[in-house]
Formats: sequence, structure tokens, C-alpha cells
Amino acid sequence: MSIIAIVALAIIVMLAGGFYVGRSRAIAAVSGATASLHSLPNYHGYHVAIWTGLPAFLLLAVYGMFGPTLVDRITAAELRRDAIVLTSSFESELASDPEILALEEALTLLRARADAISDSMAELRSASGSDRDPQRLEALAVEQTDLVNQIATTEDARLARRDVLRDRVSAEAAASGAEVRALAGFELVHAPRERRQLFLSDVRRIATDGLASRASDELDAAAAVMAHHDLRIRYLFAGLALALAVGGLVRTRGQIAGPFRARNHVEGLVTAMLFLSSVIAIMTTIGIVFSLLFESIRFFSTVPLTEFLFGLQWSPQIALRADQVGQSGAFGAVPLFAGTAMITLIAMVVAVPIGLLSAIYLSEYAGPRFRLTAKPILEILAGIPTVVYGFFALLTVGPAIRSFFAMIGIDDVVTQSALSAGLVMGVMIIPFISSLSDDVINSVPQSLRDGSYAMGATKSETIGRVIIPAALPGIVGAILLAVSRAVGETMIVVMAAGQGANLTANPLESVTTITVQIVMLLTGDQEFDSPKTLSAFALGLVLFVITLLMNVLALRVVQRYREKYD
Amino acid sequence: MTDTPDISPIRSAVSKNLGARYRAELRFRAAGLAAVAAAVGILVILLASIISGGLPAFTVNQLELTVELDRELIDPNGDGSEESLRRGGYSRALQDAIRAEFPEVQARRDLRNLFSLYTALNATRLMDDVLENPDLIGSRYDFTMPLADDLDLYLKGLLVEDRTLDTGGVLSLAVEGDEVAISSTETDFRELAAELARVLRARATVLEVQADTLAGLAEGLSGTEAEDLLYDADLNRRRAADIRATLEADAGSLTLDASLPSVIVEVEGRAVALTSLGRNGAAATGRFLIGSEPLAAAADWTLYVIDTPAERRRVSDQLIVWTRALQERGAIRASFNTYLFANADSREPELAGVKGALFGSILTMMITIIISVPIGVFTALYLEEYAPKNRFTALIEVNINNLAAVPSIVFGLLGLAVFINAFGLPRSAPLVGGLVLSLMTLPTVIIATRAALKAVPQSIRQAALAVGASRTQTVFHHVLPLAAPGILTGAIIGLAQAMGETAPLLMIGMVAFIADAPTLGLEGFTEPATVMPVQIFLWSDGAERAWEYRSAAAILVLLALMIGFNALAIYLRRRFERRW
Repeated sequence: MSIIAIVALAIIVMLAGGFYVGRSRAIAAVSGATASLHSLPNYHGYHVAIWTGLPAFLLLAVYGMFGPTLVDRITAAELRRDAIVLTSSFESELASDPEILALEEALTLLRARADAISDSMAELRSASGSDRDPQRLEALAVEQTDLVNQIATTEDARLARRDVLRDRVSAEAAASGAEVRALAGFELVHAPRERRQLFLSDVRRIATDGLASRASDELDAAAAVMAHHDLRIRYLFAGLALALAVGGLVRTRGQIAGPFRARNHVEGLVTAMLFLSSVIAIMTTIGIVFSLLFESIRFFSTVPLTEFLFGLQWSPQIALRADQVGQSGAFGAVPLFAGTAMITLIAMVVAVPIGLLSAIYLSEYAGPRFRLTAKPILEILAGIPTVVYGFFALLTVGPAIRSFFAMIGIDDVVTQSALSAGLVMGVMIIPFISSLSDDVINSVPQSLRDGSYAMGATKSETIGRVIIPAALPGIVGAILLAVSRAVGETMIVVMAAGQGANLTANPLESVTTITVQIVMLLTGDQEFDSPKTLSAFALGLVLFVITLLMNVLALRVVQRYREKYD
Repeated sequence: MTDTPDISPIRSAVSKNLGARYRAELRFRAAGLAAVAAAVGILVILLASIISGGLPAFTVNQLELTVELDRELIDPNGDGSEESLRRGGYSRALQDAIRAEFPEVQARRDLRNLFSLYTALNATRLMDDVLENPDLIGSRYDFTMPLADDLDLYLKGLLVEDRTLDTGGVLSLAVEGDEVAISSTETDFRELAAELARVLRARATVLEVQADTLAGLAEGLSGTEAEDLLYDADLNRRRAADIRATLEADAGSLTLDASLPSVIVEVEGRAVALTSLGRNGAAATGRFLIGSEPLAAAADWTLYVIDTPAERRRVSDQLIVWTRALQERGAIRASFNTYLFANADSREPELAGVKGALFGSILTMMITIIISVPIGVFTALYLEEYAPKNRFTALIEVNINNLAAVPSIVFGLLGLAVFINAFGLPRSAPLVGGLVLSLMTLPTVIIATRAALKAVPQSIRQAALAVGASRTQTVFHHVLPLAAPGILTGAIIGLAQAMGETAPLLMIGMVAFIADAPTLGLEGFTEPATVMPVQIFLWSDGAERAWEYRSAAAILVLLALMIGFNALAIYLRRRFERRW
């Protein structure tokens, strides 16, 4: 059992003991006459227990969250220090190698040319009138692609040469009997970023007797370093936690006395805890806004905002190397917006009539027994996970649409189409619209209905001319909320709408949406500094802003135009 | 005497329209009912399609073979150590076992085909059995493994359309080189031959019609496009003519190729696939799929027809015939699919199970419960019972309402940027998944808890305060216990929702292929894992047909869990709900 677990157990025991000590000491302090205590004995117990357990457990939680990362950092730093001699000899090697120098110079030249070209391209793009020269722009674009490829190959060559040098340095060092730890540090320092992670996780696995992806002396040496630091950090935190617990126990135990206001202290702590919990909701929003904003700003520093919002071409997968010239026009999000809009529209065409009519039927016509069975059935639709809808769209609705159109003579309909995704999404949204409108319709006062009936109107006339107009703001709000839901829905479109970024008005083609692209960009391997990954955050920001606006608007509509009765 | 106004013109005007108005009323009402019916109907279709897709995956056809666990083969070092046993030739042992069933198969290609009756991954299962019980070495071991996914579907009748025809004549087989001459004393093949001829004629007609359409299209065009179309039309015409020519000229027999249904004669342990069929109905030629001996006379034989042509299915006649033979011999047994529950994910559909995803879901939900329920309840308590009415409280309330409407995928982005990149928590881990889902479920729990707290009448609070309880005592001793059933119901519904959530988990890498179930313990929280809905997403993407059934089955498991949760919520509400 690890030291942390032992300490945690010890703290739990101390916590229980603290409660008992606090309680009995409080009783003893007034020699049994509990009526003369300010607070009930239990509150004294709680007070001691809280101060014994809470700070210590918070510390352990911090250890659980950040302990491994801290150990990784310390280990990496120590290994790096060990490798300092090797690193410096490698650097001098790098600085004196003619091949590297030549390649670096070539790279600088190529980059400068690429920059010049992208500048003149930008100039040409914004040019107007007689300055416009599409042919030259085209030629420049071709040259730019060419340059990007050249830069990439040169960069690859430079890295390859660097690897050769690195291997040579480490081989020489190994031959001349350098320390294994130094070699390990050297390997760690000069590995690419994702390999560094792998190295560290292998080291961790060896240090904890797990199965590593490979075995080497360097790894074993690094594992020894890590095990050492791991133990130290562990003991440090365990000791601190124990000290905090003991300190809390001793301090609060000393405070116990007849007039001590233990209850007020405990209640103050409880209130603080409740308040902190409610701040988490705000923290979440702040977290969302900042993480989206931060990454989006990084994205917009390579791709201009206007191009992102108004560009007609979306193909983030092409060409994106770290040194890619940003303005290649592959980040125009209009096809995604159009796809999202089309699927949302189809969904609304399905959901609004069915949802609204069933809400009207259930609240105005249906008998109580019919309502009692039909409403829960509609709500089942809301409880089905979206991945199930996606499965349904992919394997039942898509093929059904295709065979339907094949039957009427249109053969080239794809299974993954905007239509199938939209239809199924509409079904998903039906209960949303129906239950929200149901609430609104039910809140229209009975007196309005009675008045209408008294004038001789039929039920449908009453509904059409009295109830719906009265409930309209609420219904519009419900529809807006449903739209925001449809815009943010992910799994149905990921599974059923396809991935081609087509800018089309034909619902039988496959389209792509904002959410699909976020998923596509962020699943699989990702480097966190490429515009490709960052663009997902920009799309997320757009999504967040759209849904937020929609909700605010819905609330406004409801509040502003609500008829005030009574 | 009062003046009675003359209302007859009004009355007549009203009654003139009355019929139309009542009809409109009826139409409107019917439309409403139709809308409800449509929603219910769609739900029924959805559930029916998933249940019908998922049920077949709950049974499995298993191949039971007696494997010779030869000591030299299994224990190459001869010391019985684990290292040695891990190097044993388990796939050889399996191959030998299946070869013993069909000793006549010798050619390399045929053997490879034969070994595709099961997936090679079963060798690892055999190894695990041996490692667990080393006494098996040197014995004959009855090993059970699932049949290859396509053949499993075949046996369930989901892969091909087939039928068995009865025959009346006495059959004889004569071997002529590679070919087998088949003859019957009755015209047993006649109907079949006529049917195949009809199929071919229909195909020729289709080609001709297509040719005419193409030629018609070409008239409206010019240049190379027209030429291309005319060329295609010509090609179609010629192919149609070829078909018709063979049908006319070759009146004696029909050649069966991969585009036509396969016909297989099954007699006395032999199986012969027909290569040509006499139009007279009494003779045919074929090649042996099983067996090789001629046969003088047999009265008891059947014609097995696979209507799905070989070029449109993934399994060959040979594999189907082997499967049928094994089934005949009792080596294949259908049983409940334990692999679906006992295994984690696998590359092969027949070995893939939901255990890993189920464990991942359990771990993720544990984190979600631990975090979202207390924080949600505390927040609601603060807002409902403690908070002063000020700007800050209003801000929190607006915030919570907005969070409830934020698309779930945005929470995934938050998790990726904050928990994984900033805090350095491990990717694909239930810990991060649980954190993300907690934040997502939080608004639901808060809103449900506030509703439950609001439902507790004010008089309870006033009574408690009146006898001298502090505010905290009032809330924790009186209000919270009374609101607990409502809070529990809301929390369970929120958690059920979180359990079905997929999109945010894709962002934090819980979408990887993970062949081992995470441990159901403390370390499991940081191991890579996936959850049920993501597993469904991954499987539904699989290339093989069997994945479709697997994912439908996984959906049924997930739905069963969610129905369980919701039923629990409804039960709690019914059982403990108090009306004031």
C-alpha cells in the first residue's frame, strides 16, 4: 500500500477521532451541563473534524491532480541537467556542420520568398479595378504551393541531418563511456515533442513496474531517477498532509470552551462551501469562453477573420505544415455554415409541425388518459441517446431515402445525405418543441378559451385565433431554443451527413456542419499549434456564440412579448 | 313587450358556413392526431429497426473442435514455463484441428480459405486457456470458438437468400478429370434451368433498355460526349446479344458463373457446385466442394440454391458448404453470445464485446456522480435558500440557464483545452470524461434540485425558524430531506443523459480502439478507456456487416441501462413524492 493511501487512512481515523474528541471535550468543558454551551456538542465535534480533514484532503487532491506531472517535470529537468555536456557538444556540432548551415540558409531564403509571395497575393486579392490580375494571382498561387513543398522538403532534410548528427553524438558519447543518465537526458531533450511524451510515459511505466513499449538502458536509468523523485514528492506531500491534519486537530481542540461559537463557525464553512459550488457554474462559463477565445485568437493570427467567415472553400486537411503560408484559402467556413443551416432547416420542417400539432392536440383535444400515455411516449424520443439516432439515420433512413429516390429514377443519391441527417434530427427535436409549447399553451388562461367558445367559435377557431396568438411568444422562444439545439447537435450529423464540404443547395448531397468539422479536426493525432487544430476552436467559438445569441434572443422574445394576464 | 331583434339572417348566415366550419374543425383535429401518431410511429420504427438489428447478435454460432495440444508443439522449450508456453504453436494446433475435419483439402489456397472459417485471434484465446490450465498440454481439448462473422450471419439467414429444393430422381456422379458429371433419373434440374434462363433473358432486356436510353441521350449531344454514350450503348447491345445467343444456340446447357445463383448438390457427405446445367433437366456438370469419390446411385439428395450471386456476397460457395457440413456433423452449435459481454473491443466482430465500454461507462459515471451531484445540489441550495438577491446571484442564474443550452461538443473543447492541455491530465481517461460530463450535467442537476426545493412549502421553513433553528439547520434538517426524492429523480435523469452522451468524449480522445477493459479500481480512472455510446459510434463505422448487428446489440444494452435508470427515477418519484 502506498504511503499516500496510508496517510489518507490515518487522516480519516484522525477525523473521526477529532469529532469524538471535540464532542467529549466540549461536554467536559462545561462538566456535562450542555445547556451552558453556546453550541451543541456535535458542532464542536464537526468543527474539529472539518479542520482536521479538509485542508489535508485538499492537499492530497492537489497531489492526485498534479503529482505525476510534477514528478515528470522534475525528472525531465534533472535528466536535462545531466545531459548538459552532451547537449553543448551537439550544439557546437550543429553550428559547425556545413550541411546544416547550407540547409538553414536555403530555408531562410525560401521563407522570405514565400512571405513576399503571400504579401503580393494579399495585395492582389484586395486590389480592385484595373489592378486586378487573376492570372497573375493564379500563377502566384501555383508558385506558392511549389514553395511550400520546397520548404517542406528542405525542412525534412534539415531534420534528417540533425537526427544523423544527434545519433552520432550519442553514439560517440556511449563509446567513450558517458553516463547512461546523460544519454537518457540527451535522448529526452532532442526527441520530438510527441516522442518526449512517449519517453516519459515509458519511464513512468518502468518505474511503476508496468509494461513499457520498449526496453533500453537509458529508459531504466531515467526510471531510477523518476522513482527517486516520485518517492520524495510522495513523502513530501504525505508529510505535509499529516502535519496539516495534526495541526488542525491541535489548534481547534484548544479552542473548545463553553462560550465558543462552534455552530457559527461550522455554518459559516458550510455556507462558504455552498457559495463556492455555485461559483463553479461561472467558472465553467469563463473556462469555455477563455479556452475558445485563446485558441481562436491564435488561429486568427494565421488566418484572417474575414477569410474564415466569408471564404467559400474549406479543406483544412491539405498542406498544413507548421511553416505553411497561412493564407492558402483553405479555411473558408461558409460551406460549413450553409450545411449547418440546411440540416437545421430540414430538421425544423419536420419538428415544428409535428411537435406543435401534437402539443396542441394533447393539450386541447386529448382526454386525460390519452394524454397520460402519449406524453411519456413522446418524451422517450427525448431520452434516446443521439448516437442511437445517428445509427438509425445511417443504417435505416439513409438507405431508405436512397432506395426511394432510386425507385423514382434518381440513382446517384448518397446514403449519407443532408436529408437523412435533417429528418432524423427533426425527430429528435419533436419532443423538445412539443413539451415547451405544451407548457406555453397550458399557461394561456382558461377565460380566453371560454370567451371564445361563448362567441360560438369552434375549437380549432379558438386555437387558431385566440390560443396560438396568445402563446406565440412562447412558441417562438421554443422554436429558437430548438434551432440552437439543432445547430449544436453533433452525433447525428457526424454519422449521417457525410464529410464532404460541399457548398450546395441539394439536400440529397452530403454536406458537412460546424460540429462535424470540429470532431473531424480533433479526433486522431493532433499537434496543438497547427492552424488545423486551432480552427476547431474557432468553429467552437462560432457555435458557442450562435447558440448563446439564440438563447438570449429566445428569452428576450418570451419576456418582451408575453401577454400579461390577470 | 320587448322588441326581439330579427336574428334569422344571422342564423342563416351562420348555418350556411356551419358545415364548412365543422369540417375544418375535424380536419384540424385529424391533423393533430396524425402528428401524435407520426411521432409515436417514428419511435416504433426506430425501436423496431434497432431491436430487429440487435437481437441476432445476442446469439452466436460456435465452432467446437477437438484440438490436439501436442506437448512439442505447445511447449517448444519443453520446460512448461510461461515463456515457453507463450511461444507455442497455437494457430497450428487450431489449423490441424480444422484440417482433421476436411482431410481432402490440400492446396495452399484452399487451406487458407479453410482457416478463414474462424479468426486467427482465437489462437490467443487457446493460449490463455492453456496458460490458465497447463494440465491441458498433451491432451485432446474441446475448444469452442465463434464462427467467422460472415458465416455466423449466413447461418442466421442474414447474409444470403437461399432455398433447398426437393428432388425425386436417383442421382449418380461420375468423375471426369476435374469435372463431375451429374445425372438424375428424373428431370430434377428442369425448373431451375428455366428459372436461370428467365434471369438471363431479363438481364439482356435490361441491357437493351439501357442501350436505348443511352442512344437517346446521345442524340441531344454532339462531339466526344455523344461518341462515348454511343459506344456504351453499343457495348450494352453486344453484351445483350451475347447472352441471347448463348441462350438460343446452347440449348443443351446453361453455364453458371459468379453473376448467377449458385446451385449445390448435396449427397451422402459430398457437395458439388454446378458449373453447367442441362436444359433438359436431368444432367449437369459441376466440381467437388467436399468429397471426391464418384457415386453410383443415391435416392436421397437435395439441391441447395444460393440466390445471392457469388459476386454480390462476401463468402464463397466453398465456405458456405464447409459451414453447412460442419453444422450437419454437429460441430457448430448456436448459443447465447457470451463474447458480447465477456470481451472488450476487438478487431474481429465475432470476438468484440461491450465489457470494456461498460467498465469505462461505469468509471466515467462514478466521477460524474461524485462531482456533479454534490456540486449541483450545493449550488441549488445556495441559490434557493441562502443567496441574497443581488447582481452576482442574478449573474449565476443567467449563467446556469445558458450553460444548460451550450452544445455538448463545446464542453468537449473545454475539456481538451483545460483538463488535458492545461492541467496535463491523461487523454482518453475516464477521469477527464467524467469531469467533462459533470460540467455538462451540472445545470440539469441544479435546475431539478431547485424545482424540488421550491416545492417544499414555506411553512416548513417558518416552523423550523420559529422554534429557533438556524438557517443551516432549517435547510439541512428539514428542507433537504423533504426535497431529497425530487433531487434524486432529477439527478438520475441527468446522469442517464450523461451516460448517453458521445460528442464531448470524442474531443478528449475516448474514441480510441482499446482492446483491454479498464480495471474497476482507482487506477482505472486514468487508464485509456471508452464508453458505451462511443463504442456504438465506433462499431457502426465498421466495414463488415456484422458490426452493424453488434452496434445494434450494444444500443440495446445501453437502452436497457437507461430504461433501468429512468424506471428507478419514476419509481422513486411515485414512492416518495409528497404533495403539499
